[in-house]
Amino acid sequence: MKMTKFSGLALAAGLVAGLLGSTAMAEPVTATPGQAVNAVLLPKFLGILPFDQANRGAQEAAAELGSTGTLEFIGPTPENSAAGQIEMLTTATTQKQHVVMLSNNAGDQIAPTAEAAQAAGTKVVTWDSPIPNGKGETVFVAQVDFGSIGVVMADMAFDLAGGAGEFAVLSASPDAANQNAWIEAMKEVLKGDKYKDLKLVDVVYGNDQSEESYNRALGLVDKYPDLKVIMAPTTVGIVAAAKAMQDEGLCEKVKVSGLGLPAEMVSYSLNGCAPQFALWSFVDLGYLTYQVSYALATGAIKGEIGEELNAGRMGAFKIEEDPGRPGAKRILMGPFTVYTKDNVEAAAN
Amino acid sequence: MSGLLTRISPQTLRLVALALALLATILFFSTQIDGYLSARMFNRISTSAAVVLPVAVGQAIVIMTRNIDLSIGSTVGVVAYLTGGFLGSHPELHPALALAFAMGVGGLAGAINGVLVAWGRVPSIIVTLGTLALFRTFLVEVSDARTITTASLPQWLVDLPQATVLSVGGLDVRVTVVMAVVACAVMGLALGRLRAARKFYAVGSNPDAAVMAGINAKRVVFVAFMLSGALAGLSGFIFLAKFGNITVVAGMGMELKSVAAVVVGGVSILGGSGTMLGVLIGTVLVDTIDNSLTRWALVSEFWRDALLGMLIMAAVTVDTFASRSLGRLKAGSGGAG
Repeated sequence: MKMTKFSGLALAAGLVAGLLGSTAMAEPVTATPGQAVNAVLLPKFLGILPFDQANRGAQEAAAELGSTGTLEFIGPTPENSAAGQIEMLTTATTQKQHVVMLSNNAGDQIAPTAEAAQAAGTKVVTWDSPIPNGKGETVFVAQVDFGSIGVVMADMAFDLAGGAGEFAVLSASPDAANQNAWIEAMKEVLKGDKYKDLKLVDVVYGNDQSEESYNRALGLVDKYPDLKVIMAPTTVGIVAAAKAMQDEGLCEKVKVSGLGLPAEMVSYSLNGCAPQFALWSFVDLGYLTYQVSYALATGAIKGEIGEELNAGRMGAFKIEEDPGRPGAKRILMGPFTVYTKDNVEAAAN
Repeated sequence: MSGLLTRISPQTLRLVALALALLATILFFSTQIDGYLSARMFNRISTSAAVVLPVAVGQAIVIMTRNIDLSIGSTVGVVAYLTGGFLGSHPELHPALALAFAMGVGGLAGAINGVLVAWGRVPSIIVTLGTLALFRTFLVEVSDARTITTASLPQWLVDLPQATVLSVGGLDVRVTVVMAVVACAVMGLALGRLRAARKFYAVGSNPDAAVMAGINAKRVVFVAFMLSGALAGLSGFIFLAKFGNITVVAGMGMELKSVAAVVVGGVSILGGSGTMLGVLIGTVLVDTIDNSLTRWALVSEFWRDALLGMLIMAAVTVDTFASRSLGRLKAGSGGAG
């Protein structure tokens, strides 16, 4: 008799705890402002616009949260990107930084360093480009769903080609984790019935270099005389391809599209060489990444699946499993903007 | 046969071999790629090689003095960016002055290398590896993450890559190509005729002997690096005109392309020999192979770099082998060179 009573009580207590727990899970967490969080924002390399915009967003979030710690924006030079990132992550760990926000350009090579950082108490939050195997990474702040980039790229190619014809991809480097994932996602989308007359004829790489991208773009139009669209999911490649088509007077015949920065693309959008391209806000990406990092560093969230947090002006976000990387976690920002001649000028300034 | 071989200078022999290699390459790809022997392909390759040629000429001079300049990729980037930025704020600047500005900035970067190598007595490979990173870091700092876009450049510069000196049946001789070839020709004539320029050979073939002959070897090395910088400035100028949109990654990797062109062009990595005609053919050959491979359906993207690497190794091997057996031939026939 006594036994049942006890177990009944325990059961009730368990239920209450469970209920409390689930309400706590359902309610997004708000991190307490004004704490000292020392953070490092580590882009692929310094000196190009998107990463600078991300830094602006992160600084905005840090000011809003009133962090009394530091927020450093450091990164390697372009030549030294992969090795430099590993070195800087190691340094940040020895400095006992609370959190490092990493746009990974070193593939899985950086995973052991990231794991060492975690072991020493430095959280590693990736953004823009994740650690492919997910090891050593607390959570990845994804700009947009990698699958939906595939849809947008396929749709832009579909529109610009008038529903049928040949198109080709001009990518960054053959081992860029994010670009490869997007191209794969696009190939999946292309299997759909809507795109049956659209033919992806080639994927070439300009290694994010103007001259290589420029020459690859010209190579594509020479190799495929019926080519209608060059799809470049890289901000360097898309500008170089647009310039190449403009120089050769091919803009009427071959349209350029992909992912580009409005400030760099505005003239090509207006003159019809690149009538449509897409991108997300790097300022927002930096802002959200800092919000997540701050919440993790202060212990407001643990970085587990199902946790939700309030990210200031951007609203609530939830940690979920990353569909593209089994075992890894992500926070999905989204959406992105498709730019045309109608909205590109406003965004460029 | 051996009599003929010994009568022709190894330099000439090398040039003939290079020209034959270029011809064979063109013939081979013309059977592989549709519409290869066309005016369009000529324009593609000539304008693409024009960006690299000045850098290769500068690199050749430095290599002749037994040094190497690995920093020029960064120099090209710095020049393209600074010149673009300067023209953005001073659009009324005369084109000739803009070019002088570009070559001046490049020359200054080269002078820094030159001082460190010649008088600092630091091996050039170390100095220029250092400045490769240093110049790039400087660019990152100066740029403040802004991109130079074509919209900010004066119209004459944007139109320059399309400007043509003369056009024969669709074969354009573009202004940028003429600029690059003139730089190469001037340097070639100087090396052949000018006493001052021949000092590059003297210092490279035997530095000690050069010093004993009263040559100021340090000053010669310094001038070589400064010229290399100024010519990288010319490349940076053409780069800016051609690509228009300049970020901090501009010119990355050009140092390797230039070394490839120079070595394939028959400039000995041991110093003291090489011709500008060889550098010209070497640059065109490397660029032809690169541009052709991207249009060749049979070879995947990943093989391009590997093939280029193999070509450089083959060039060096053939060079070493040929000069050794030629030396033996001469010794045998009592050799009058």
